[in-house]
Amino acid sequence: MNIKKIMHVENLTHFYGNQIGCKGINFDLYKGEILGIVGESGSGKSTLLKCLSGEISPSAGKINISLDQGGVKDFLSLPEQEKRQLMRSMWGIVHQNPRDGLNLRISAGGNIAERLLNVSEKNYSFLRNTGKYWMKKTEMDPDRIDEFPLSFSGGMQQRLQISKILSSNPQIVFMDEPTGGLDVSVQAKILDTIKSIVRDINVTMIIVTHDLAVVRFLTDKLLVMKDGIVVETGLTDRVLDDPQHSYTQLLTSSILQV
Amino acid sequence: MKTGFNFAYLDEATKRMIRRKILKAVCIPGYQCPFGGREMPLAYGWGTGGIQVTASIIGKEDILKVIDQGADDTTNAVSIKNFFKRVCNIMTTDKTAEASLIQTRHRIPETTLNKDQIIVYQVPQPEPLRKLEPKEKETRKLHAYKEYALMHVKLYEEISQFGSVIKTWAYPVETNNRYITDPTPIPKFDNPKMNNMEALQLFGAGREKRIYAIPPYTKVKSLDFEDHPFEIQTWDECCSICGSTKSYLDEIIINNEGKKNFICSDTDFCKSNLEKNK
Repeated sequence: MNIKKIMHVENLTHFYGNQIGCKGINFDLYKGEILGIVGESGSGKSTLLKCLSGEISPSAGKINISLDQGGVKDFLSLPEQEKRQLMRSMWGIVHQNPRDGLNLRISAGGNIAERLLNVSEKNYSFLRNTGKYWMKKTEMDPDRIDEFPLSFSGGMQQRLQISKILSSNPQIVFMDEPTGGLDVSVQAKILDTIKSIVRDINVTMIIVTHDLAVVRFLTDKLLVMKDGIVVETGLTDRVLDDPQHSYTQLLTSSILQV
Repeated sequence: MKTGFNFAYLDEATKRMIRRKILKAVCIPGYQCPFGGREMPLAYGWGTGGIQVTASIIGKEDILKVIDQGADDTTNAVSIKNFFKRVCNIMTTDKTAEASLIQTRHRIPETTLNKDQIIVYQVPQPEPLRKLEPKEKETRKLHAYKEYALMHVKLYEEISQFGSVIKTWAYPVETNNRYITDPTPIPKFDNPKMNNMEALQLFGAGREKRIYAIPPYTKVKSLDFEDHPFEIQTWDECCSICGSTKSYLDEIIINNEGKKNFICSDTDFCKSNLEKNK
């Protein structure tokens, strides 16, 4: 089977002044793959995600992306307009805090509609039905489509944010600690939802987290970061069951056993 | 004409600067051009933008008509007309058909404008996205990249809450298939008149210091959804003075019992319609 490579990252490096953000990152991302990036606070995983999603321009390195239409492109040299267009339709970020990704002044349905309107759907019933469809899909009550995000619980807000991003049928979804700040039972339910959907629609994802349970449950491949560099990489199960680097060993052994 | 003023109050260099901006605005229909707005002898919100545009393009042969809410005899209209009489010594008129230059607040005259006329709108808020996105830096990008999803989200929200779009004035339009433009606080009843209008339409915002324009024969489309098309206001009543059923009607309470009457908001149209029907 020939699986399409949709992102190629080479020697990606970012410095904050003299401080290393991340250094010498290399990896390939294939269609339908879920890549996990783990590491402790300050290890550079968020910097990496920001570089990949175009939020900051890295100091050095290369990111080649391959789009459904248009072939291979050098992401870093894309004009701002194209980067914004990508983030608004073909790509998407799920933020740790749903309030960063949602517009709190518009209803749940309006939030999903905004995403769809970016790809130019000017049909009200279509927006409505798609909104309800995605709310159902993320196990929300579609009858609450006209309610405002602030009337939802934290877990529901996160589900709404995921609905919003997935509704435009994106190619790559970036998730930054998608279950951070939620209690464990809600976390488990959201992870279940994400897992069932990603298998369903074959979306490619990059998940940044410090939670090994999340990566074990969701991801296929893993990058372990420490002090801005990748110390270990491989299939998730291999890395977690047979960690080679001393830091990964420390990480896997620090999981609290209840 | 009062002495001590330059013709049309503004100095020649300022007028030239504003004319240059008007030319730019005409070249990019619907695009908001920043200009060096001057202090005018009236308060912001009373038409300082419109007056500066009018003052820059008015000539000695021009016949000026000024309306406020459709009426020629309201405070704002009368004051602005007197102002230009004083500083230009030009002719003014109440008749839409006779005017070569029309400055307006809140209405487009009912009489169809022709290619020899220019209509100048007073604009309180030139940025249609302002209430949706407070940052000027961001709204400029949204215009530049044609990212107009927010505007439709607003219409979506109104339909989902109220069953239809409830915005009845300053209803956003798309100019020449490109820029989303604020048509100023005219009722949406007047929006269709902007489409393919023969007259040049100029917009001046004094406080915000922006000029934009819609050249003659330009496509102006009111935003809507495929399955919720744009509609204008209608009335069951007719004008109680002239009996018109085609014009925009104002609802007026006429006694202490709350009895209501509907009359044309365009006073010139109402008068000529009345004479015609006599």
